[in-house]
Amino acid sequence: MKVNDIFSYAFGAIRLRKLRAGLTILGVVIGIAAIVALLSISQGLQASISGQLESGFATDTLIVTAGGLGSGIDGGIGAPDTGFRLLVNDTTFINELSADIELWTAIIQRSSYIESGENTLITTINGVVFEEYSEIYSNTFVAESGTISSTPGNEEIVAGKRVSDPWENGTLFCSVNDNVNVIWPNAAVRPPQNETYTGNVTAILQEIGGFGIGPSDSSTYIPLSQAQSFFDTDECEMIIVKLSNSDQATIDDVSEIITNAFNGQVSVISSTAVLSIVSTIFSTIELFLAGIAGISLLVAGIGIMNIMIVSLMERTREIGILKALGTKSRTVLAIFLSEAMIVGLIGSAIGVVSGWALATVASGFLGGGFSGVAPPGAPVSGGIAVTPVLTPVLILGAMAFGLIISIIFALYPAWRASKLKPVDALRYE
Amino acid sequence: MKNTIVQTKNLQKTYMLGKVPVEALRGVNLKVEKGDFVAILGPSGSGKSTLMNLIGALDKPTNGKVIINGVDLSTLNDNQLADLRKSIGFVFQFFNLIPRFDAKGNVELPMTIPGLGRSERRKRAEKLLDDVGLKDRMNHTPAELSGGERQRVAIARALANNPSFLLMDEPTGNIDSKTANEIMELVEKLNKENGVTTIMITHDQQIAGRAKRMVKMLDGEIIKEIKQL
Ligand SMILES: Nc1ncnc2c1ncn2[C@@H]1O[C@H](COP(=O)(O)OP(=O)(O)OP(=O)(O)O)[C@@H](O)[C@H]1O
Ligand SMILES: [Mg+2]
Repeated sequence: MKVNDIFSYAFGAIRLRKLRAGLTILGVVIGIAAIVALLSISQGLQASISGQLESGFATDTLIVTAGGLGSGIDGGIGAPDTGFRLLVNDTTFINELSADIELWTAIIQRSSYIESGENTLITTINGVVFEEYSEIYSNTFVAESGTISSTPGNEEIVAGKRVSDPWENGTLFCSVNDNVNVIWPNAAVRPPQNETYTGNVTAILQEIGGFGIGPSDSSTYIPLSQAQSFFDTDECEMIIVKLSNSDQATIDDVSEIITNAFNGQVSVISSTAVLSIVSTIFSTIELFLAGIAGISLLVAGIGIMNIMIVSLMERTREIGILKALGTKSRTVLAIFLSEAMIVGLIGSAIGVVSGWALATVASGFLGGGFSGVAPPGAPVSGGIAVTPVLTPVLILGAMAFGLIISIIFALYPAWRASKLKPVDALRYE
Repeated sequence: MKNTIVQTKNLQKTYMLGKVPVEALRGVNLKVEKGDFVAILGPSGSGKSTLMNLIGALDKPTNGKVIINGVDLSTLNDNQLADLRKSIGFVFQFFNLIPRFDAKGNVELPMTIPGLGRSERRKRAEKLLDDVGLKDRMNHTPAELSGGERQRVAIARALANNPSFLLMDEPTGNIDSKTANEIMELVEKLNKENGVTTIMITHDQQIAGRAKRMVKMLDGEIIKEIKQL
């Protein structure tokens, strides 16, 4: 038999039982759609997180935080408290460590409230040196209205976009030139008491979107010296180091020098390290998701096998006729495998398209969701806009996988069909 | 000089029913020459279908030989047997048409096996259906045809690959006697006019009487051979 005759024969057999074929195909569609939807969303999420990390976290900067025992974010988080504190003055010490260090600045961070008229907002107060900070984050620490002074007075305040406009409904929490009260619940004294001072908003940042370790929409910035006196501390949460270039060698080199200089008591995080951690995490997640989706495809495969065994019994006589007419065993095998292949191909094709559609719809919810459901007064740093990524590798991989699963599960029934003895098959009632 | 198409030598077939052997054939010697029309007659259970399955290379004998066109079937592997079946025109008692194909499709089917082109297949199928008198039933599916018509389609299908002989198992077993006569007329005509060698199994004395030769079987053996007109 010619290949096209085999296919048209197989196709005719499938068409005869449309409902059954439809349900079998549906099984493959669900499996493939799940794979495509989950993986394309996950790849989209990774792309968008990496993208935002890159924009929110200049690639030529390092972030030094207290609590070392390892370099990188994984060592920093959950490291035991050794009593080590990073001080604002440590910047001068860091400066001398390497010629590749171009700029450095300390940041003090406190969770606080600000009060404007009737309203109160939770925000993170960042004590920064405006001039240095805006040089390091020249793309994101940019005023939309007002000006960021390089020699700010103590009362000057720079507010993130979501601090100025937390509700996104036209009502602003604060604007340039507004006086606002900064309230810090000081838990270091007994009894705890709220410290307050009145500041003046001199600039509102342009919208940054997403998240990063740099400036964020929901933060408020005050001069570092003011933070030191208001929070009554010389400790800083992090020191940002700007390098002369963003070569991996420089990053690794300076990271190591700084870590060693602090006796391993600090964590040095670079954007490349974070990105590589993100990509490792996502590979694991993708493997896991693919595994889950793979199970549904396995179920589809068993469905195919089941249907083909039923079909084999129903068509035993037909196989007998084919053999009596001179059809070789391998042609019978090919006919049955073609049927599975057609089911697998149609199912995979529909699966890829519907998986993509599903991913697009689902990511609409994801992206729109975050900022939409945030309660007023507790603004979060923007939504994560996820565009599902459908790569040719994913399309072809999913199609091939669907096809292979279909064929593998059809092998046994097809082999049994091909091995039927003509007399037995013809005698079959 | 005669040209032997089918020959069986001491053909035996024993089925095992559990541990009980059933001797369906006990040494059958039969010779069918080119242009012959042989009817194999016998009561139910005498081994007629068993003989047909062996001659048609659908089953393997326990003992003895089947020789078709000079080739001993026991020397052939499965693929070669499949190829050999293409040169045998089977007609079954229960028609054995493919229900989803129309008459033309059923006749075309055997021609797809050697890989004949579509238009060639179609032309030949139309001619064959015309020959068996089904010119205006080409697009009917088996369900839309009468028993006699179905058997004509089956005969047309059997002739599709120019078989070296027709092998018919009770071709009239499932149709009424009037239609059976029409089918027999067709078979006779094919034998006389086109020289189609025919082996026909039947338990109907009258039908068997229309063949050139009648072979009577009983309990797995040939008990009598009658040469007719
Ligand atoms: N697959 C089988 N297994 C066991 N015994 C069988 C098998 N096929 C046939 N037989 C036995 O072999 C004998 C001959 O059977 P066969 O079918 O050849 O008879 P037949 O002459 O064609 O009968 P009928 O006219 O009823 O079709 C019978 O006794 C039958 O029971
Ligand atoms: Mg019989």
